[in-house]
Amino acid sequence: MSATLAPERILKEMAEIWGQFAKQPDGDAGAGVLRSCSMNLVVIAQEGEDAMSLGETIAALMPEHPARTIVIWPRRNEQLSARVTAQCWMPFGQRRQICCEQIEITAPEGSMPDVASVISPISAPDLPLVVWCRSRPSVESAGCSDLFRMAEKLIVDTADWPDPQASIQRLAALAGGGLVLGDLSWTRLTRWREMFSQLFENRNYAARLPEISRVRVTYGGRNRTVAARYMGAWLGNALETADVRVEVSLEQDAKAPAGHFSAVELGGGGFRVELARQGELLVTTVDGLSQCNSLPAATDYLLMREELGIMRRDEIFERALASAARL
Amino acid sequence: MPDNPFQDPLRFERRVPECAMVIFGASGDLTKRKLVPALFRLAYDRRLSAGFAVVGISRTPMSDDQFREKMKEAVQSFSEDTEFDANVWAAFAQGLFYVPGDIADPGLYQRLAAKLAEIEQSRHTGGNVLFYLSTQPSQYGQAALGLGSAGLGKGNGWRRLVVEKPFGHDLASAQALSNELHQVFEESDVYRIDHYLGKETVQNILAFRFGNGIFEPLWNRRYVNHVQITAAESIGVEGRGAYYQEAGALADMIQNHLLQVMATIAMEPSASFQATSVRDERSKLLRSIRHMKPDEIRCNAVPGQYGPARIGGEDVPGFRQEKGVNLDSQTDTYAAVTFFVENWRWAGVPFYLRSGKRLPKRVTEIAIQFNPAPLSIFDGEGTAPNLLIVRIQPEEGISLKFLSKRPGTGMQLRPVSMDFNYGSSFGERSPSAYETLILDAIIGDATLYTRQDMVEASWMVVEPIQKVWRETKYDFPNYAAGTWGPKEADEMLARRGHVWRKP
Repeated sequence: MSATLAPERILKEMAEIWGQFAKQPDGDAGAGVLRSCSMNLVVIAQEGEDAMSLGETIAALMPEHPARTIVIWPRRNEQLSARVTAQCWMPFGQRRQICCEQIEITAPEGSMPDVASVISPISAPDLPLVVWCRSRPSVESAGCSDLFRMAEKLIVDTADWPDPQASIQRLAALAGGGLVLGDLSWTRLTRWREMFSQLFENRNYAARLPEISRVRVTYGGRNRTVAARYMGAWLGNALETADVRVEVSLEQDAKAPAGHFSAVELGGGGFRVELARQGELLVTTVDGLSQCNSLPAATDYLLMREELGIMRRDEIFERALASAARL
Repeated sequence: MPDNPFQDPLRFERRVPECAMVIFGASGDLTKRKLVPALFRLAYDRRLSAGFAVVGISRTPMSDDQFREKMKEAVQSFSEDTEFDANVWAAFAQGLFYVPGDIADPGLYQRLAAKLAEIEQSRHTGGNVLFYLSTQPSQYGQAALGLGSAGLGKGNGWRRLVVEKPFGHDLASAQALSNELHQVFEESDVYRIDHYLGKETVQNILAFRFGNGIFEPLWNRRYVNHVQITAAESIGVEGRGAYYQEAGALADMIQNHLLQVMATIAMEPSASFQATSVRDERSKLLRSIRHMKPDEIRCNAVPGQYGPARIGGEDVPGFRQEKGVNLDSQTDTYAAVTFFVENWRWAGVPFYLRSGKRLPKRVTEIAIQFNPAPLSIFDGEGTAPNLLIVRIQPEEGISLKFLSKRPGTGMQLRPVSMDFNYGSSFGERSPSAYETLILDAIIGDATLYTRQDMVEASWMVVEPIQKVWRETKYDFPNYAAGTWGPKEADEMLARRGHVWRKP
C-alpha cells in the first residue's frame, strides 16, 4: 500500500483492466465488454458510511449515467491509497456486458488537498466532472474548494445539515461563486412541484390564480427544514411571476415526522388547493375534489438520477435558494 | 390562457393539457394491445393530467365497470415493461368510460356528446377531446362525419382526430378520405399515425443528422454510394391473410413506414424543430422522389411471395397456404424498390427499400454505404466500403464500419465496427411508439405524424408500381420462407454493382 497517489499508476491499472477484459475468451455470442463513460463522478463519502449501500446506489446510476466514478473514502487512520475496479452489468436481453471504471481512494485526515490534486489527471478527458458531497464537513474541508473549481456541478444534500438557515446561506454563497449546484433537498420536491404544475395546466384553475393570497407549508420537527423553506420560496416566486403576491407561512405540524413537510396549501377567495402527504400517497385536493397519487420514497438513486441529468444552471432552483435565505 | 407559473422545463416532462380521449374500436386488438397499455404507462409515469379520461366506443354492450375490468386485463397482459401498480390503476380506471354503439348510428354521437359534457364537468377536461379511430379504415369517414353532425368537431377546447393507417389504398382513395375528414376537422387537427416515426431510433436519426456537425457534410451524392432500407419480418401473416391479401408489402410497409424513414434520412435540415418545419422538409423530399414509368418499374421494383419451407425442423406454410388466402393470390409478401431522389443532394444515388414477410429474421435498419477511398494503397486490401448502419429494431443503435490495421507486422487491413447501442448507452427505458405519439397528439405536436401532402406524395410514387404489378402475372411463390427474398431483387442491385446486406 502506498502513502502517495500516483496518477500514472492509477491510469495504468485502468488500462490493465481493459487489457484483461480484451484477453478474456468471448462468450457464446463472442460479444466481449463495452466500455461506457459519459461523465466523471467524484463521490466524497461520509466517514463511516455503509460502503455497500453507497456502492449499490452508484451501480444503479451507471446504466443511465455511465461515468468514471472516483469514490473518496475519508478514513482517519488509514493510509492514502487507491484501488481501481470495473463496474459491469449485463443489460437485459443483451449479449454484451457494459463496464464503467471505478476508482476508490482512501483519504486519511488532512489529505484532501493531495487527493484533489490527482482528480484532474485521473479524470476521463473532455467529459464533465460532477462532485457529489455526501456530508456537510466535506463541503467545508480543506482541498474541496480546489475540487469544486474543477467541477461542472456540485451536488449536496442539506437535509442532514445541522442548521437549515446556515445551510441555505452557505449554498447561496457557493452559487454566487458561479458553481452549478444541486441540492437533494430541492430534488425531493420535484414530485410535489410537478403536481402543482400539472394542476395549473387546467385552464379553469389557472384562471383562478389571482384569487390566491396565501401559501402555507406545514412541516414536522422543530426546525423549519431547508425543504420547507424551498417549497415556500418556490411557490412565492412562481406566483410572483404570474403577478400574484402572496403571504408565505411555514407552520409546524406536531404530528408530522421531523424533517418532512406534511402539506402545502394555496388559498384565497373561494379557491383552495392542497397537497398533503398520507403515508406513501400524495393527496391533491382542489375545491373539495380529491385525488391520490403514489409518492414513492425518494431514494438517493432516484434523486441523483435526476440531478445527473441536469448539467446546466438551474435558474428556478437558484431563485428559490435566494428567496429561501430570506424566509 | 395565462402561462403556467409552476412549470419547470428543466425537470418536468412536457406540459400535458387536460383532455378526454375517445377511442372508436375500443374492443379491438389495437386498443387492448397498444393503446390502453400505452395510456396506463403514461399515467404510471404521471404524464397525463389528473382529470384525463378515456371514452371507449364499440358495438359490444358493456358498462363502464365491465370496460374497466376488460382494460385492466389488457394492461396486465400486454404491458411489457410496466409494473402493474394497483393504486395507479385505481386512479386511472376512474377516468375510463364506455359508450356502446354502432358508428353508423347517429344516436351514438348524441350519447357520446352527453358523456363528454358530463366528463368535462366532473373531470375538468376543459372541453379538449382527442378522437382516436382504431376501427376498420372503411369507417373512418363515417365516424368523422358522425362527430361533425353531432357538433363534436368543435367545442370549448381543442378537438383532434387520430387516424391509423392505411390512409387509402391508392391516391384517389387517400384524397377521398382526406376530403371526408376535412368536412369536420382542419388538416392541422388530423393526426395520421405512423408508429414507425414514433420509434426512438427513427427520432434519433434527426438528432444524429442535425445535432452533430460531422455527418452532414458527408450526407450527399458526393460521398454516399447508395442507401439500403430494410424492414424484415420473420413471421408470416399470422391469421391476417384475408386483410394482407388486399394490402401487400408495398402498400402495407413501403408506401408509409419505409418512405417516411427514407424521407427522414434524406430530407434537408429544417429551419427549426417546429412540427411544420420538419414536416415541410419531409414532404419536400417525398415530392422529390422520381415517379417511374412502367419500363423503369420493371427494372427497379421486384415483388415476391413466399412459398412453403422447412425452418428449424418446422414446416412453414407458403403464403397461398395461409388461412383466408386465395390459392392463386398475386399479393406481394415481399417488395423491393429502387427509388431515386431528384434533387441536388441525392441525384443518382439509389435508395433501395425492401420489406418482406417470412425473411430469415426480424430486423429494420438503414445502411448508408459510402464511396470507397479514391485510391487503395494497400495492395488489394481496403476494399470494404465504409458503412453507417442505423438499426431501428431490434437492439436500436448506430454502427460505423471502417478499416483498421490488423495487429502485427505487415500492413493487413480488416473491417471493424464502432457501435453505439441505444439501449445500453442509455439505461433509461424508451417509451413505446404509441406512448410518444399519443402524448404528442395531446400536446398538439404533429412533428412525428404524417400530413395529407406526404400521404399523397407517397401514393404518387407507389401507385404506378402497384399498377404495373397488378397488370403482370407473376410466377409466385418466388422465394422460400426463411430466405432473403427472390433472386430478382438481388439482380436489381447487381445491375448497379451492389449487393443487399444480410443484416
